[in-house]
Amino acid sequence: METLLNVLNLVTVFESEEGAARVVDGVSIRVDRAEAVGLVGESGCGKSVTALSIMRLIPSPPGRIAAGSVLFEGRDLLTIPEKDMRKVRGNKISIVFQEPLTSLNPVFTCGEQVREAIALHQRLGRAASKAKAIEMLRLVRIPDPEKRYGSYPHQMSGGMRQRVMIAMALSCEPQLLIADEPTSALDVSVQGQIIELLGELQERMHMAVLLITHDLAVVAQMASRVIVMYAGVIVEESPVRSLFEATAHPYTEGLLASIAKLAHRGDRLSTIPGNVPDPFRLPPGCRFSDRCPKRFEKCPTAEPPLFDVSPDHRSRCWLCGG
Amino acid sequence: MEILKARGIRKYYRSSAGLSFGRGALVKAVDGIDLSLEKGTTMGLVGESGCGKSTLARVLIRLEEPTEGGILLGGVDFLALKGRELRTARRRIQMVFQDPYSSLDPRMSVGSTIAEGIRIHKLARGAAVKERVAGLLDRVGLSASAAAKYPHEFSGGQRQRIGIARSLAVEPEVLIADEPVSALDVSIRAQIINLLADLQADMGLTYLFIAHDLGIVEHVSDTVAVMYCGKIVEQAPTEDIFREPLHPYTQGLIASVPVADPSGAKARAAIPGDVPSPMNIPPGCAFNPRCPRVMDICRVEKPDLIPCGGERIVRCWLYH
Amino acid sequence: MNLKAPPQGLWSQGWSRFRTSRFGVAGAVIIVVLYLAAVFAPLLTPYDPIAQGDVPKMRFVAPCRDHPLGTDKFGRDVLARIIYGSRISLTIAFLAVAIAVVLGTLVGAAAGYCGGVVDAILMRIVDALLAIPRLFLLLTCVALFPGSMWLVVVLLGATGWMATARLVRAQVLSLRNLDYVKAAEALGAGGSAVIWRHLIPNTLTVIIVAATLRIGGIILTEASLSFLGLGVPPPTPSWGQMVFEGREALMGAWWLSTFPGIAIAVTVIGFNLLGDALKDAFEPRRFV
Repeated sequence: METLLNVLNLVTVFESEEGAARVVDGVSIRVDRAEAVGLVGESGCGKSVTALSIMRLIPSPPGRIAAGSVLFEGRDLLTIPEKDMRKVRGNKISIVFQEPLTSLNPVFTCGEQVREAIALHQRLGRAASKAKAIEMLRLVRIPDPEKRYGSYPHQMSGGMRQRVMIAMALSCEPQLLIADEPTSALDVSVQGQIIELLGELQERMHMAVLLITHDLAVVAQMASRVIVMYAGVIVEESPVRSLFEATAHPYTEGLLASIAKLAHRGDRLSTIPGNVPDPFRLPPGCRFSDRCPKRFEKCPTAEPPLFDVSPDHRSRCWLCGG
Repeated sequence: MEILKARGIRKYYRSSAGLSFGRGALVKAVDGIDLSLEKGTTMGLVGESGCGKSTLARVLIRLEEPTEGGILLGGVDFLALKGRELRTARRRIQMVFQDPYSSLDPRMSVGSTIAEGIRIHKLARGAAVKERVAGLLDRVGLSASAAAKYPHEFSGGQRQRIGIARSLAVEPEVLIADEPVSALDVSIRAQIINLLADLQADMGLTYLFIAHDLGIVEHVSDTVAVMYCGKIVEQAPTEDIFREPLHPYTQGLIASVPVADPSGAKARAAIPGDVPSPMNIPPGCAFNPRCPRVMDICRVEKPDLIPCGGERIVRCWLYH
Repeated sequence: MNLKAPPQGLWSQGWSRFRTSRFGVAGAVIIVVLYLAAVFAPLLTPYDPIAQGDVPKMRFVAPCRDHPLGTDKFGRDVLARIIYGSRISLTIAFLAVAIAVVLGTLVGAAAGYCGGVVDAILMRIVDALLAIPRLFLLLTCVALFPGSMWLVVVLLGATGWMATARLVRAQVLSLRNLDYVKAAEALGAGGSAVIWRHLIPNTLTVIIVAATLRIGGIILTEASLSFLGLGVPPPTPSWGQMVFEGREALMGAWWLSTFPGIAIAVTVIGFNLLGDALKDAFEPRRFV
């Protein structure tokens, strides 16, 4: 499998009155061509900031990318000039966000916005880019695309808007699609449609997808490989089946156990006690140690590295090595 | 013992976003709902955006007045109350809100927020107020020192606990939980769900649990009601409805839920199309454009709720 | 972005942001100096601002060592008059703004919270009053009831509350449907309790910023009134009045109008700088 994107030791820092928080603290991610990778974690773990860092969309005060490299097509995206980066964004690497209502410009029709995305990167005249835009709307299964071309965002439902976002993102046939919580703001019945759509498009366009979500069930549906983040670092990385069947990190175990699954009506849900740590006040040693049911003496003394549990399964836990 | 009984609740709005001059389009947010809550039980209310569940919650708690319908709270006509009687009756039914970031006044300390209900109803004075607040904080799993702090110092899950403490301060009998955990992280959701379960067991509370996460609804509820376009389309005891859903919408919803099991069935796009806007409800059965088992009569006539074995009721022509 | 805010109260957060603004701090310094000067006036100048000096000898003396800003036609020291005059101008401005803000807040909060007919009526009254040019209103009232400083204060306040009412109403409308307000209503809080306990405290920063920015305007209005001879009656020194009196001698004794004019300008600038910085401190634009 050919590697498409290789993020190495990315560190992104946010400055505030209390100092600098390393919101992404040494994260390395590999995405192969046409592969679907899930990036999972709860709020504050740094997954969205990682995605924005790859796209160099971090707002520059208060954030900055402090270290690391993002290798794509033989170049380090963090070092190329901004005008070259603009040719990458929306063209080679696209991103779809969670809340389509605020990601779409309310003043322009949806069709216009898709057309603009196309015209920006491809040398097509107005008529040609409009035709392509309508094709894209059809591709994302928007019914009656010629008519919907002229609809405004507020006239469309959440599911439709998300499809428009996907159409915009895919209009230049990118090699990598980053989807940041693409279904979280949608209704259950629509979530299924969008997940199915993303899966189809990924296969059809031979495209890699980095799917960022807090929902392990969505990841189970779509991804072939999963990366779990906690408090700015990767804590587990594995093919999707092993993650669910041979979980190697207590945090992942806790997450899986606390999901209320259908057809499992029980007395109490299993929980992870405590809260996600404040990035300015990280616990000493392993970041998860103060909430971990399996902690032992070594855990608060030093942060574990990523150990190899099996050739493609790694876990940042002293129970796995050392 | 029936503690809350709502009959024929309708809430219609005139939308200002109308195309014609004068009156805007009629929005039928809640279109004829009957609800009955037994003391000490939990009813789960499931539905997607625009189905009217949040509007129903606000009407039941009288934050808004219904266009039509009646509400009996502990046998008393809730809608007829005014002034001081209404204020006292409000103690009996409280709400837990969805968004932990807007449900607490950022300028008030946590202690003041929790004490507000105590002060309004004069349930304690002076030092006794502080004691009560400390007791409530303890009950929801927070330390007494939280009282002096401000909401922004707490995480989402902790804020929800504070919100719950605020509701409990007036000693309610019914708690309407409007998506209480949707805005929280997965690992925190379980904590709050367990807390609510404990409180119900300790205090004999009755819950109306509104959510779109079917897994959670199944876990917490004794009966489940499914809402679509302002009406209840199916209602049954939890085991029954999940084991054998009757209404095509319920079946579709359950089938759409992605399962956290990579080798399991893939979530299908089980219900095509979009949820209709409440301004534009289809004629006949509201679900007919999306229904895989639609018949001719469905497009023309609205079905009624009919009993369908046991304690079930369904609103579907398939079962008439 | 989920970085937790530092564990400070909201006021101290605003304060620390304010401190970083150099203009804001400069404005604050100006205001503080002015107020101190007003309070400690007798210590700053030996001269009496009202009593006429030895007129033939002392009139129209150009700025010199004894009288750094010169004297006026009655032989009174200009610097002393400016310092004592600051008492008048600052007091009038402060009280007038206080009246305007209190009135505006009550009306705006009631309109925003109650909505419906109450809102419509109140806002139409606001619109009607705003349509009348303020200076005309003031002039008419003052002409009818001349001669009192307190009247001037009340009138300035009574003609200036409308803008605050609109501002407060807008803020209340945006807060009104937040969950914590609904929670208070569900608990049984009545309308006035909700307004007093929840809506106004969350509107305070908006009100304070608006008030600070208005003080400058009121000082100018008062000066205009005095310039037209309809403000504070002589011999009480008021800056506007001093500018008025110096008009006739502008060619020769230029210092009579210039220095009070500078004083007005500096004060207004000071309040505006302060107000702008407060606005940035308490209503910061957020990133992303």
